[in-house]
Amino acid sequence: MRAIALLSIATSISFAQDTRDPAADPLGRLDPSTRHAVEMLMDSAHSVGLPYGPLESKALEGIAKRANGRDILVAVRRVFRALRDARTALGPSATTDELTAGAGALRVGIAASELSLLATTRNGKPLTVPLVVLADLVTRGVPRDTASLTISQLWQHGAADDDFLALWRSVERDIVSGTDPGVALLNRAREIPAKGPSTTVPPPATVRPEDAKS
Amino acid sequence: MTDEVESLDPIVRWIVTEARRPVQADAAARARLIEAIKAEPVPSRGLRLVTWLSEPRRFVLPPLATAALAAGLVGVGVLGGLAINRGGRPAAVQLPAVAAGQPQLPDSLAPRAVKFVLIAPQATNVSLVGDFNGWDTGAAPMKAADGTWTVFVSLQPGLHTYSFVVDGSHFVSDPTAPISPDDGFGHRSSVVLVRKPSL
Repeated sequence: MRAIALLSIATSISFAQDTRDPAADPLGRLDPSTRHAVEMLMDSAHSVGLPYGPLESKALEGIAKRANGRDILVAVRRVFRALRDARTALGPSATTDELTAGAGALRVGIAASELSLLATTRNGKPLTVPLVVLADLVTRGVPRDTASLTISQLWQHGAADDDFLALWRSVERDIVSGTDPGVALLNRAREIPAKGPSTTVPPPATVRPEDAKS
Repeated sequence: MTDEVESLDPIVRWIVTEARRPVQADAAARARLIEAIKAEPVPSRGLRLVTWLSEPRRFVLPPLATAALAAGLVGVGVLGGLAINRGGRPAAVQLPAVAAGQPQLPDSLAPRAVKFVLIAPQATNVSLVGDFNGWDTGAAPMKAADGTWTVFVSLQPGLHTYSFVVDGSHFVSDPTAPISPDDGFGHRSSVVLVRKPSL
């Protein structure tokens, strides 16, 4: 009798572990073929040393936004390729956050060579914040070349995370106020004190909107 | 032996003598018995298995063996559960809120809890979704006070993508945080970086 009771308890434990957490099968809301394809991409990412979390998150984001399976798969594939390219550009020592931020920068059109340049001059500093700010600025309308060159110069001259964050806040505020995005960036970048050799960012008086859009 | 029998009570002696007397069996009885057995239909293998399984049995286990069996079964259950969980994805650990910051890239290394704010006076309900809660619209409902919606969420250190969901279907990026590139679904999300606490 006792054995039967213990058997029931053991069986209950096993079933409870299987069913206690709906998050154990987060992709269960995908149709089978999309789910299979997404999981294949996640496995591929894992097998080549890339984080699969961003892929899963993108699929779940698509589910939440009621996207169809095809669009979800396209989005997940795009993230996979961006992560892979980011790892190539940033090097094997890049962290998951840096890869995610680098993938975002690549997706807005920043050249892989620009990411590589940032990575070669990192001196042990994390690249996550500069890359996030870079992607944000381009998304808000700052020309890619202007954004890339400015962030790169600030980075090479010792700007810290807080400098990039302050820059982002100022530029965002200026853009909302109606300033041309490229001009706003160049003007605000000049306010950041150089912590290394003098910066080559042009002074604000010389910057015109048409120059910033070049 | 004979002397012992002779010394017994006459009735007992008669019983012993009768018991020792060879039985004169019918010569054809053996043949009849074999024929009768052969005449019985042989049960099928399945029927024999069912009969064997359905027959009541009585097992007797000492307490020590019972305990060992129970421990083994519990172990199988636990290991089975672990194997199932290992096949899934690791779930983010939700830590209790210890401090509040702004929904932007935090300056301090210490906070792990982040306060998210959205000003939306016309909204009837707002929730926070992101990679930290599986984009589950029911995971982090926000509370309103004078049109300002807030929620505290404990986040793991790292880069997180998130969005606000207004009235159940409208995805809105955070106007006070950096935005991520096009999400592929026609919306823009926001980005928050929770830095690792200094040791």
